[in-house]
Amino acid sequence: MNLVRFGIRSLTGLFAVSLASFAIITMMPADPVSIAIRVWNLPATDETVAALRVQWGLDQPLLPRYFRWLANFVTGDWGRSFRTGESVIAEFVERLPVSLSLGMAGLALAIVLAIPLGFFAAAYPRGLADRFSRALSVFVQAVPGFWLGLVLHWVLGVQLRWIRPFANDWTAIVLPVLLVALHSVAVLARVYRRDLTETAAQPHFRTALAKGLSERQALWRHGHRGAIYALLAAVRSEAGWVIGSTATMEILFGLPGISQFLVQSIAARDQMVLQAYVMVIAVWMLIVNGGAYLAMRLLDPRLA
Amino acid sequence: MPPKFMSQLVSAWLAAASLAAAGTAVAAEPLRVGATYITSGTDPAKGSNGWALVSHGVGENLFTVDKDGRLVPELAEKAERTGDLTWTITLKPGRMFSDGTPVAAKALAAGFENTFVNNKAALATGGKLTFKAIDDLILKVKTEKPVPYIQALFAEWPLIAYKPASDGNAVFTGPYRIEAFKTDASITLEPNARFPGVDKRSPVNFHKFGDAQTMTLALESGELDLAFGLPSEVVSRLKASPDLTIKSFPVGYQYLAFLNTARPLLGDVKVRRALDLAFDRRELAAAINGGEPASGAYAAYFPFAGKEARPTDLAKAAALLDEAGWKKGASGMREKDGKPLRLLAITYPQRPDLVTMLPVVKAELARIGVATDTQVVENIQQVASAGDFDIALWAQHTAPSGDPAFFLNSMLRSGASLNYAKYASPEFDAILDRFATEGDPVKRVTIALDAQAKLFADAPASFLVSPVWYVGMSKRLRNYEPWGSDYHVLRADIGEAKQAR
Repeated sequence: MNLVRFGIRSLTGLFAVSLASFAIITMMPADPVSIAIRVWNLPATDETVAALRVQWGLDQPLLPRYFRWLANFVTGDWGRSFRTGESVIAEFVERLPVSLSLGMAGLALAIVLAIPLGFFAAAYPRGLADRFSRALSVFVQAVPGFWLGLVLHWVLGVQLRWIRPFANDWTAIVLPVLLVALHSVAVLARVYRRDLTETAAQPHFRTALAKGLSERQALWRHGHRGAIYALLAAVRSEAGWVIGSTATMEILFGLPGISQFLVQSIAARDQMVLQAYVMVIAVWMLIVNGGAYLAMRLLDPRLA
Repeated sequence: MPPKFMSQLVSAWLAAASLAAAGTAVAAEPLRVGATYITSGTDPAKGSNGWALVSHGVGENLFTVDKDGRLVPELAEKAERTGDLTWTITLKPGRMFSDGTPVAAKALAAGFENTFVNNKAALATGGKLTFKAIDDLILKVKTEKPVPYIQALFAEWPLIAYKPASDGNAVFTGPYRIEAFKTDASITLEPNARFPGVDKRSPVNFHKFGDAQTMTLALESGELDLAFGLPSEVVSRLKASPDLTIKSFPVGYQYLAFLNTARPLLGDVKVRRALDLAFDRRELAAAINGGEPASGAYAAYFPFAGKEARPTDLAKAAALLDEAGWKKGASGMREKDGKPLRLLAITYPQRPDLVTMLPVVKAELARIGVATDTQVVENIQQVASAGDFDIALWAQHTAPSGDPAFFLNSMLRSGASLNYAKYASPEFDAILDRFATEGDPVKRVTIALDAQAKLFADAPASFLVSPVWYVGMSKRLRNYEPWGSDYHVLRADIGEAKQAR
């Protein structure tokens, strides 16, 4: 029943997001036809302007345009880019694997690294892991990802030759994935540690110690499950940050993902691309939220 | 959720992603070329794609400018005037499109007609041209306006030669053909088997970098065979690397500042002239570590270039501003009726030298009490077209066809499609009109000098630096000789080292 409610709420949310974004993008001040005429050196005749407006559906009122776009969108026709003339869905199908690889691998790697880091930070307060996770958390908040990417590229790629960020194969995404993960590792490790520390102050934890468990054993057996729950809750909010990091990495390393495409499309007020991007991001947030929610249900049956 | 399970899940996913990505890697050993620009599409009639596709080695023109700056036939054999407005172009026999069909007059006519309908920049010199194929190798051309030397017109960047295909694409004749194109990211090129010397060329992965520093790092880390347009500040560092060859070359480009005459503050010619006098071109050239102070609209090696560097005179600039009513306030900055003299200067990251110059320009203008806000915009063409600037730092090849008229007609004539300064002067237009009827190269030099003198007086543009550019090569491409600025980056004679193949 909860899942049905979740599904209905999600679809309603997607509908609201699509309508709001469509309206905002449509009302942006610059006219895509004027931009196209300037950038493509087209003759600015009345006929050209009228033909482009009809071709792009800009001659229709907002609501009919929206519902036509919505009907097309759900049937797989995402329109054509004003800027390139290419099918938007074809561009996204080609580019999404790059963006998803970055985003999902970055987030997954962050979770995998955050658990041991947070665990040892909690097990040894003010120890090496605790100090490192705190320093990392301050560092990633203070240092822009773009700058860090350049520095790491210079150190790892140019000086040490350990990575190949511009290779024409899978190795190209290693450094971008690490950079995407870096911010989330810091955040998630601190969340995980905090929850473990709170558990350690509970009476049942002292009972576990009294039974003869070591502090690490007690933390793992009695604190880990609850801390994972807190970590998954944090993953939901971290998913939004990952989108921004992914966009930065795509631009910095020239990876042909959807964010790289988006940046150029914003300048051209390329409505079909902007709209598709908003929807893809909305679905991404929904999937991450849904995944985290399901995992949390498994961890805490009371949610079911 | 046990960490072990999570770890296994992530490992499996990463492995799957890796395999999928690895599957798309090319099997051959292509040349890896980097630049900060790439064609915005494969439609040769759209925007400046014609220039970019020739630069990528995909397309050719009927005539072109060679390594020594001479106008020479490319796909054409010769052009002969048959009337005031009519010409006959004879094509070279034996040339082929990349699809294996011969380069015929009828096919080229269809391509040119498409360009003239869809790209206003093509109209700059001769107006709208009409074409008639007499036979496979003879093309009759009629211009709308008199053109003294049609060879130069057909070397202009919008007039790339191509055959429109039935599927809406275009077929070209250059040494490479497009295998794959990813908007804003990369273009994969294969040697065109119909172009002589196919066995001497490797496939090419042409990669666009959003930032020149990143491109430099890619070259240093061995990921590029050719990095075109390196930022000047990294040159000394790169020259220390035994694995890299760094070369510089003078280009026909000029770094200039368009002064937007349609903006309230720059509508006054005295203010524009003051800015022109405030620019210290020696300082700007030093800032980008390459080039000479500009002497006018053209690089110094052209016969129609100005003979002396443009002057810097802060006292005269200050006097002009005083005359215009802009007096220095207590802060040392100028104002009139309580309103500060504050300008917006923009440029774009695709030309890293201009980004380097931008703060220097700001400092130079501050010396005469002019405050400047600076912005680096991704799409300069769009912002400049919209007129949202006072000063636009710009890089422009001002004689791409070896002739001075095209730049002036397309970028500074009243109402021209690329006239970003919104300069409108009947006297200047009258000077340009003389180009249309004058075929004598010596007299065309005089016209170009007259036009430049008028520009110096009205200052809709300030010519700053005649730059040199830098390219970096791996050992595989160490024999590459850069020339022709960025109009001919990939060429048939790319100079690939034999032992590396």
